[in-house]
Amino acid sequence: MLKHHPSSELLADYASGSMPLSHSLCIATHLEQCDICRQQAHKLNQLGAQFFMQQSSTATSADNDLKAKVMGCLDEIVFSTDESASDTPKRTAASNKVDSYKPPKALKQFLDDSYDSLEWTTVSPSFKITTLLKDKNGAQIALSRVKPGGKMPHHRHTADELTVVLEGSFSDEGGIYKKGDFICRDSKHKHKPVVTKDAECICLMVLDAPIEFTGWFTRVLNPLVRRNHAQS
Amino acid sequence: MKSAEVRQEEQLRFAEYMRAVAEQRDKRAFEKLFDHFVPLLRSFSLAAQPGASLLADEVAQEVMIKVWQKAHTYNKEMANVTTWIFTLARNSRIDYLRKNSRHESDIDPTNLWGEIVDENSDPFQAAQQKRSEELISKQLKGLPEDQQNALRKVYLEGKTHKQVAEELKLPLGTVKSRVRLALRKLAISIPR
Ligand SMILES: [Zn+2]
Repeated sequence: MLKHHPSSELLADYASGSMPLSHSLCIATHLEQCDICRQQAHKLNQLGAQFFMQQSSTATSADNDLKAKVMGCLDEIVFSTDESASDTPKRTAASNKVDSYKPPKALKQFLDDSYDSLEWTTVSPSFKITTLLKDKNGAQIALSRVKPGGKMPHHRHTADELTVVLEGSFSDEGGIYKKGDFICRDSKHKHKPVVTKDAECICLMVLDAPIEFTGWFTRVLNPLVRRNHAQS
Repeated sequence: MKSAEVRQEEQLRFAEYMRAVAEQRDKRAFEKLFDHFVPLLRSFSLAAQPGASLLADEVAQEVMIKVWQKAHTYNKEMANVTTWIFTLARNSRIDYLRKNSRHESDIDPTNLWGEIVDENSDPFQAAQQKRSEELISKQLKGLPEDQQNALRKVYLEGKTHKQVAEELKLPLGTVKSRVRLALRKLAISIPR
């Protein structure tokens, strides 16, 4: 069972759609692994529906125009078949991939079925990073990949950082984080994650501003990360 | 405000309309849903983007077409019709807003909010979902107005806690704790 979940306030921001999409991406990734939070999210949808139905609303003449338009095109609309069912075979068919990982559905926009298909930047012998997107609001969406027992370089958060463990596990002062766990750190936090020895660790990281590494190789690393950042 | 019984009857009626749309492609039933939900959908869009009547039209149209298209995936054991339509409206509004100004983003929201679909529902789950629905609607009325108001802004106006705090001229921590307290009373909190 997972131990690290988003707070219920964060889940409410997700269910209401009020948080940035970059953050919703992390919540959605966690939900794929977490029954408990899926249940909470469902309750939060029910709560949203309460507010939705309490709205004061009056029918207007614009509604009639819209009705004529929509009713007029109903016959041309076919019942949609279930999309998620139709792409399941496609996924299992791609069996020639190297690793056995199954990336989350939430990341489908960025990668299909293998982390190896991404362009990784090697930062240190045990640490790689790839930027999936630098979003319009300045958020950076990245994956980190650390070898078993490897350390993630010390880094400073210039803004809030959300992390979801996709594969493997790591630990820091706060505890041990396993596949599916969700971690939210604010900018004041400086942490030193270490990956457990049994397996490599892949994490989804979302930063509201680009990551900055601290320590002896800062000068080597930051331009690299920045370049990685700029390329996307 | 409508009583719980009236609302329950209303939901049963909506579920009947949904069935008629799914099984018989019943346009009259669809019209009933249209008449009830379109004004709500319009208000929902306008709450997030006041004055944007074009956006309100587009969201309402997209949601109603989805209702027609996906009626057969609706399962009343999983959610009542209003909850189902609320999730469609939220998803649609997110997509329109990201293409406009509010949350400009290159992230495709399609894979981020699962639609409530007819899958692995069992009697236990159905009973549980009904119970939480009743609890939420009952407890919501008992919440202090300031807590309801904070949640309403988050859900209807799509505001972040920070935006709510700025608007109400309150410290961010106050807004956060109002939301937290409200969710706790509604039994929406994660066991730690
Ligand atoms: Zn969880």
